[in-house]
Amino acid sequence: MADVKGGGMTRGRMFLLVLFKSLKIRKNRVSITFFSIMIGASVITALSSVYFDISAKMSRELRAYGANFFIGPKVTSQSRTTEAGIMKQAVGLVPADKLIGASPYIYGVVRLDLGNAVLAGVDFPGLRKLSPYWQVEGKWISVDFDEESCMIGKTLAKNMELKVGDSVNVIRTDTGFQKSLVIKGIAETGQAEDEQIFVNLSLAGQILGQQGQVNHAMLSIVTEGTDIDAVAKRMEASFPGLDAKPIRKVSHSDGRILDKIKGLMAIVAVIILTVTTLCVMTTLIAIVSERTREIGLMKALGADDRDIVRQFLSETLTIGVAGVAAGMLLGFLLAQVLGQAVFGSFISFRMAVLPVTLVPSIAASLLAAALPVRMAVRVVPAQVLKEE
Amino acid sequence: MFFLMLRQSFVKGWRRKVLATATIVLAASLITALMNISIDVGDKMSKEMKSYGANINLVPKSENISLEIGGVDYNPLEGQILIDEKQLPKIKEIFWANNIVGYAPFLKVNAEIAGSAKGVALVGTNFDKPVQIAGDEEFRIGVRVINPYWQVSGEWPADDEQNAILAGAQLAKERNLKAGDRIVLRLAAGGEQSFTVKGILSSGGSEESALVAPLAVVQRLAALEGKVQSVSVSALTVPEDKLSRKARRSSEALDSLEYDRWYCTAYVSSITHQIEEAIPNIAARPIWQVAASEGAVINKIQLLMIVVTIAAFIASGLGISSLMVTTIMERAKEIGLTKALGAADREVYLLFLSEAALVGVIGGLLGCLVGAGLSQVIGLSIFGSLISFNWVVIPVNVAISVLIALAGSLMPSRLITRLYPAEVLHGRR
Repeated sequence: MADVKGGGMTRGRMFLLVLFKSLKIRKNRVSITFFSIMIGASVITALSSVYFDISAKMSRELRAYGANFFIGPKVTSQSRTTEAGIMKQAVGLVPADKLIGASPYIYGVVRLDLGNAVLAGVDFPGLRKLSPYWQVEGKWISVDFDEESCMIGKTLAKNMELKVGDSVNVIRTDTGFQKSLVIKGIAETGQAEDEQIFVNLSLAGQILGQQGQVNHAMLSIVTEGTDIDAVAKRMEASFPGLDAKPIRKVSHSDGRILDKIKGLMAIVAVIILTVTTLCVMTTLIAIVSERTREIGLMKALGADDRDIVRQFLSETLTIGVAGVAAGMLLGFLLAQVLGQAVFGSFISFRMAVLPVTLVPSIAASLLAAALPVRMAVRVVPAQVLKEE
Repeated sequence: MFFLMLRQSFVKGWRRKVLATATIVLAASLITALMNISIDVGDKMSKEMKSYGANINLVPKSENISLEIGGVDYNPLEGQILIDEKQLPKIKEIFWANNIVGYAPFLKVNAEIAGSAKGVALVGTNFDKPVQIAGDEEFRIGVRVINPYWQVSGEWPADDEQNAILAGAQLAKERNLKAGDRIVLRLAAGGEQSFTVKGILSSGGSEESALVAPLAVVQRLAALEGKVQSVSVSALTVPEDKLSRKARRSSEALDSLEYDRWYCTAYVSSITHQIEEAIPNIAARPIWQVAASEGAVINKIQLLMIVVTIAAFIASGLGISSLMVTTIMERAKEIGLTKALGAADREVYLLFLSEAALVGVIGGLLGCLVGAGLSQVIGLSIFGSLISFNWVVIPVNVAISVLIALAGSLMPSRLITRLYPAEVLHGRR
């Protein structure tokens, strides 16, 4: 009994001793193994972090397409307008970090110096965030209390021979309103806006005699998939008089594009993961297989095959765990560099990255160590030691 | 002697060489695939972006300003200028004809549904119609081509049907229309006809509060045969840059070289310019919501791919060098012997570096092959089409593989030549 136990102790101590010595003496090989596992793990960590964050990041980028959500009065209600306050409350239902921009709109026909035009009342600071694609010559109106300026569409400007800095008379006969406004900017969108004149909502209310009223509101909301429909449902439940819906043209396309980008990233990440894992494996195979002589010597000294395999695996495991840990740290930093370079924002850490990195890295290292060792233990010690 | 040693090294140490080559093949194929995709991803995504709809709008050149609010026209223009439908196939004859994905003509008139005094807009368009164009037998135009986001619950009408019509979703809700209903339409111009509602259209645009019928029917009813009001064109374009912005401010500001470059690049502005050249009396306007945003998003995706490629590139470079280090370090004894036999350091270097170069070339070429296959797999599974293979990738890749192999060999060769032969042979190092 004691013998067996003593034998076990010695064996255990021997195991640790060999492990320790091997790590200490073969500094070069250990550092190369560590290094290659670390590089592999860091690339995998970086890419999977980016992958898990890609739809959040890209859906924000896709908001370059402008409004994807519409709120207006219900079709069944006779009125074409809603109280501005109610609209503001409805917009407030969207979480602030999801809302890129929003603007209410009110429309009416006014007379300018050379003819009639559609006047739109908007919230300029909101509109600018809502519609980043507007091509503006001159300047945007930057504050929502500016009642002396306007922006006009390009076609309208051309037809009425107006330039940035000119003044234009805005006349509405039924309210008796007349005022001269300075043109701050000329906007081009290629759509209806090209033929309209834009002023701040408060001024539009005075001109059209509909103070505190809006026709509808447009919103730009960050969305991943179908959560935008939930927003619509919630809004209609809280405000039964309102019709809230995603703008199909934009939200449908957003979904398609996001799917493509996610698919692309996924397949690229899988390929990089496979190739990096294989690269790490070849390096480890090279390192372990050059130790055939050592294995021969161990066998000649009486170690059995299982001991040797266990010895090598635990050696690799020790280095592997250290390498993966360092690789994850490095990879997370790399992901931040990627995020900053492409999206100008940080990539958030997700727990899912841990297993995705740990499992293939450790499995590959162990497999890479086991393959050559298994081949090596099959050879006859004398042959190996003779270097044949 | 040198070649003998080189050959011996490959014959005796073939395992080692296979391993080294395999690693380089893996790394090179990764870089090839990623490079190929980064180069092509702009084109591919640009095609996907077409789901946002048309990016160019053609309207007649006129001085009129429309006064339309929420689908209701406050200034129904009498005798306005229209576009001749016969001119439209010329869109497919411009310099960038291949970049024109499709177009759809529109003619909008005011109508009344019998039994209701409230007016409704009747829009005539093509749904999915083949057009004869020189050198392209299979060109289809219509809203189903350029607006894939249009959804119909029910059936799409065919372009040659006389009595089929689509009702916009909003209008259907207002007037209580369902697929299968029969309605009689009366036009302000005097035409009258009965229609069957084939389906309910959701488009997210002003069509939702209108009726949509085949173009030919609306033209006949309104007595405007062969005329259309506006045309939506979907074109593949490249993102805007300095040159196109300069051209947009004024095309006279460009010198002749810049003008040629601008004209021969698929900017949205040069395509609209070419359409205006091809068809007289129209104005082609970029729809900036689509044209500008597409550029922004595609630039982002391209940047993402490039950055990922660089990261993968650095990682595989380090992977190859660490393998080179091991394969050289384990040959310390052999080098000790060659040095003891009188080899100069220079010769040892030469041996290692030429070995590395050879492995790099073989690995790089094989890697290009594998990588080309890999990029096609990605192209097919994500975009459903092949990635165009760029020949630049091959020399770049082989050069990179050789460089990495050489760089990876340099450091360990230096270490190893510095060793004392006696020490190495004794087994102390």
